[in-house]
Amino acid sequence: MNPKNNNTLERVRVMLGEMLDLDGKEITAETYLIRDLGAESIDLLELAVAINQGFSIKVQDDQVFLWRLRFYMLDAAKNNADVQSYLAGKYPFLDPGRIAEIVADHDSGPVLKVKDIISYINYQGSAAAN
Amino acid sequence: MQLEFAGRRALIFGGTCDLAICLAELMMGSAIFPVLTYRDDEGRKLIRESLGPEDGRYQTAFLKKGERASLERLFAGDAANIDYFVDFAQGDYERFVAAADEDEVDSYFSENTAFRAEVLKMAARSMLKRKKGRLVFVSSSAAARANKGQGFYAAAKLASEQLYKSIGIELGPRGITTVSLRPGYVDCGRGSRFLHDRGDEPLKKVPFGRALDKLEVAKTVMFLLSDAARGINATEILMDGGMTQVK
Repeated sequence: MNPKNNNTLERVRVMLGEMLDLDGKEITAETYLIRDLGAESIDLLELAVAINQGFSIKVQDDQVFLWRLRFYMLDAAKNNADVQSYLAGKYPFLDPGRIAEIVADHDSGPVLKVKDIISYINYQGSAAAN
Repeated sequence: MQLEFAGRRALIFGGTCDLAICLAELMMGSAIFPVLTYRDDEGRKLIRESLGPEDGRYQTAFLKKGERASLERLFAGDAANIDYFVDFAQGDYERFVAAADEDEVDSYFSENTAFRAEVLKMAARSMLKRKKGRLVFVSSSAAARANKGQGFYAAAKLASEQLYKSIGIELGPRGITTVSLRPGYVDCGRGSRFLHDRGDEPLKKVPFGRALDKLEVAKTVMFLLSDAARGINATEILMDGGMTQVK
């Protein structure tokens, strides 16, 4: 992970630590927010507000937390579209490799990982800088 | 009993109506700094004529219903750190449902329901940063019992009450609570005009025997904002002199 991502990870880790009862759980980029940390909707809303304030970026909750993922996958199937290309259009902050992981993983439960949040923050930060 | 207030800064949405200005005066007397929204120069002038020059006791802020840019500016600046949010904003559209113009209906709900949801999102997120906040919606007894022609007004009030109720349910665990107040006939603003046009007839249905005055409604809003009333959450309170309880 590059230094910029490391810094973002550390800040997100602090935010999550302040919001959740982690009970000694370690947070890495690969940690699932809902599956591993038990984050609930209200926790993620609070995280969105903290990210907005801490990184000075606009946060679209639906997008960063992948709330409409299943709907998009169904929509792609209904329209005979390639799921990965369809999701790439909806989640431009995720790279193709991560999207492939998500497609393969989604039947096992909520797919949102800490690294997705980091990707969103960096993407939005770059967009704001440009 | 002296009311206590943990917060110090309030945003009054729809700050140009008589009730809002009356409430702002009470707030200033209780060491709460009110920020009153206005949507045009005339509204701002009205606030200043009523409350005096903006000399650090209160502030005005531009917010136009339906105009997202003004909303974002407001919450990036004057309303960034509010403890209280009081909502008086409400347009009127009095028509029989079967006589309404489709475009007017669309515009009415866009301004009075959808835009309110946007304002509430910003207010709630602002409060969520500090894990405390109190929101009071000044609804109407028309939400419980609408007269002919008040269908759209009542529908917008009911929809808005539900938005407030949902915030109280969803964010209560984070210290953010809500309540809707449903005043009956109030002898000020739109209410005065209504009572003037119809004479004493509407008041015959009120066991209380008279219209409310703006000060008693504003004082009730102050109580609902106070620390003592925090337990009144995600609900509606009628203040109509008993009007909706009789046949």
